[in-house]
Amino acid sequence: MKRLAAVLLAALLAASCSAEAPPPARLTVLASPELADLGPVLERLRRDTGVELVLEHRNTLEATAALASGGAGHDLAWLSSDRYLKLRGARPPLSTSTMASPLVIGVKKGVADRVRGGTWAEVADRAAAGELRFGMADPHRAASGLDALVGVATAAAATGSALRPQDVTCDKLGGFLTGRAFSAPTSTAAADEYVRTQDDVDALIGYESVLLSLNDSGKLREPLEIAYPRDGIVLSDYPLMLLKPERRDAYDRVVDWLRGERGQRLLMERGRRPVEPDLPRPPRLSEPIGNALYFPDRQEVLDTLLAAYDRAAAGERGRVVFVLDYSTSMAGARIAGLREAFATLGGGGGFDRFALGETITVVRFAGRVLQEHTVTVRGQADLDALRDVLAADDLVDGTAIWSALDRGHRLAEGGAVVLMTDGENNAGISAEEFLRALPDPPARTYAIRFGEADPVELDRVAKATGGRVVDAATGSLLEAVKEIRGCR
Amino acid sequence: MAASRTFEEPALTVLAPPRPVLRRKRYLLPFGISAAVALAGAVALFVSGTVALPFKQVLVITGKLASKSEFFTDDVVRRLLMAQGVQVHITRAGSRSIATNDIDSYDFVFPSGQPAALLIRNQRQRESKYAKVHKPFFSPIVLATYRDYAEALQAVEQGEPDKSLYYNLPMTSLVEHIKEGQTWNELSHGLNNGNRVLAQTSDICSANSAATYLGLIAFVENGNQIPQDEESALALADRIKPLLTSQGLPGDDMSKQYLAPEGKGLAPVAVIYEHQYLAHQIRLKQQTGEIDRNRVLLYPEAQVQTVPELIALTPAGDRLGEMITNHPGLRKRALELGFRVFEPDGSLSQGQLTGFLKALGIDVPSTGVGDTETFLPSLPLLEKMIERVGDCP
Repeated sequence: MKRLAAVLLAALLAASCSAEAPPPARLTVLASPELADLGPVLERLRRDTGVELVLEHRNTLEATAALASGGAGHDLAWLSSDRYLKLRGARPPLSTSTMASPLVIGVKKGVADRVRGGTWAEVADRAAAGELRFGMADPHRAASGLDALVGVATAAAATGSALRPQDVTCDKLGGFLTGRAFSAPTSTAAADEYVRTQDDVDALIGYESVLLSLNDSGKLREPLEIAYPRDGIVLSDYPLMLLKPERRDAYDRVVDWLRGERGQRLLMERGRRPVEPDLPRPPRLSEPIGNALYFPDRQEVLDTLLAAYDRAAAGERGRVVFVLDYSTSMAGARIAGLREAFATLGGGGGFDRFALGETITVVRFAGRVLQEHTVTVRGQADLDALRDVLAADDLVDGTAIWSALDRGHRLAEGGAVVLMTDGENNAGISAEEFLRALPDPPARTYAIRFGEADPVELDRVAKATGGRVVDAATGSLLEAVKEIRGCR
Repeated sequence: MAASRTFEEPALTVLAPPRPVLRRKRYLLPFGISAAVALAGAVALFVSGTVALPFKQVLVITGKLASKSEFFTDDVVRRLLMAQGVQVHITRAGSRSIATNDIDSYDFVFPSGQPAALLIRNQRQRESKYAKVHKPFFSPIVLATYRDYAEALQAVEQGEPDKSLYYNLPMTSLVEHIKEGQTWNELSHGLNNGNRVLAQTSDICSANSAATYLGLIAFVENGNQIPQDEESALALADRIKPLLTSQGLPGDDMSKQYLAPEGKGLAPVAVIYEHQYLAHQIRLKQQTGEIDRNRVLLYPEAQVQTVPELIALTPAGDRLGEMITNHPGLRKRALELGFRVFEPDGSLSQGQLTGFLKALGIDVPSTGVGDTETFLPSLPLLEKMIERVGDCP
């Protein structure tokens, strides 16, 4: 009996020693900042697998740049996504996605009603109206910030395709950014900043996991309701990337554990969605996320987007001058359409609405300039004033297109000019005279053509300024205005 | 009480030597039970092959594969292989990137389709290196989607309305929708999706499924003709490029995205292999008794079989190829993972899969088993088209 027991014990020990207990290992990991809350998970990982992950946190986009230029000597990288690495043309290393988190908008309960549905378009609309102030991460440094920017710009372009550089040139970020209360270097820093400023700020844009943990932290006086911007979802899948192939064995152990049931459950406890489809999830990680956008596939798009962001964030919104034909032939449906378009831009126009701080000039003309009115939008009263200008009923005979446009150009101050007319020029200067007097550089001119207006002449002038003609007859006037508003 | 007994029988207490630890009753019983349990467990694990490691020599075989890695990461397959003394260590990569990178350090590669396999075989032949081919199973390329998307595309159900898991898809109409740049909302407002109509693929530069889809779209766009020379192939590539690239940055693994709980938002129409879809249905049926009737497959009318080739690069890889092709347990498991296995005589047939699905109570797709990849242009032309469409490095 004694001998048998001893043999058994020895056999079991031998079995357990050689089969289990792999050699301990220590891996250095270049990691996104929002992974800093995974300490307890990594401790469990170390106990179970013998592999210790030593995370060095760096802003995701800076980490991506480091990886693209050869890396900084880490064994692994664990970033929110490898999209930005791929766009830099780097050959992605062996990688396995470990968990998922969509980019979302956390909105105070009291304000959530105003962005019902939580689309980027609604957020932009409310932000432009001064009714929503939000914080976000810096899109130059943080992936969550750039994800948000791609989401907003893709939704604004509304092509249903991946964003192209030409979709960004019509700068529709301005209204959205009117509501930006702060931008922080990382998604976690943005969360901290939100805690500090929560009485003055209504919303925070960031990863679902960061917002859930912020709600759990007890630091918020009013919890954030999570909205999934269904017109542009970006999902991050946190690939674990092997940078040093000689660490493959330890890497495999880490991946197996993270993708295994225990790893996935612990990650779920920290607000991450599992990548293993069969695991039951808590309700808060089962919310439908809506449709993922088609992500741009060229670095050039991101560069254009960031340049547009910088202009818009610096408040460099070009003034827009509307030169409107108030001759008698516009009476009826045409002038009604014009007023309706302006009413929409004054409120509820999504990405295209007039934003706080924006300067708009209206020049009404017939045989001469009838009225000039300039507002810088500070509130509803200014938009009401614009509406009153449009409501004027003093339509008279005569059409001095080029004189009025000339006046518009003198008021443009580097902005764009939108001309709407339905007639042929029969008063004031000629198109040739107008073109001769054109300042250099000219204000881009976009012409919206109704009915009888001469398409050839309008086209010639618009092209000379770098603009173009949009035919109001083929689409709705509002669509035409939306298409060209803010372009420069 | 104890004290008085000691006095009555002093010899017992004084003279008896201390009982060895292992023979003390209070110790022996629990130890015996736990040791027996552990031994039984060890024996069970040994028999199943899980901890054979310390007891017998294990052959570690390394391979580089794409979608077929799902076969080797399956627990049952791993156990069956371990019982044979084999452990497979895999590295994932796209089929075409397997073919265009160094593979000398592996025992085998398993690209998902013939174009990549041919590239590899040619390369091995040029360098007079070991290469033995095994073709254990095959699976068609399908467009995996959701029922309301299938309806919006006016695909034709193979069986009972609203119930069948399989639809026939007229490719010309899909190509028209894509060309017109229509959004899903324009096709059917109920889909509540402002994205353009298209089928999402993995990276054309690296994945066999994406390259096959490229070939299919080219075939349809070219009036069911295969381009015969480089000039017409490149012109065709330029024509179809916008149809394939408006999805933007491709995802890494379309089946993972499609089969995720968020799949309908991530990849409502995804180009994947039939086996990936069937594995999902089979697993669900075996675990819950249910069938997922929201997820359905679209079969293009042009037959799109793909035959993955296990190319052994060493004798160890060859041994694995033999096993996968001939071992009854592994063949059965391949069926359970949704693969169509070749008949013993090497002929294409879906008979075995059909029988298996019927026995489980899962509908059977009715696709003719026709020529394999006949709509694809010759390999050099396909390569040129892939590079042109994907701007491949």
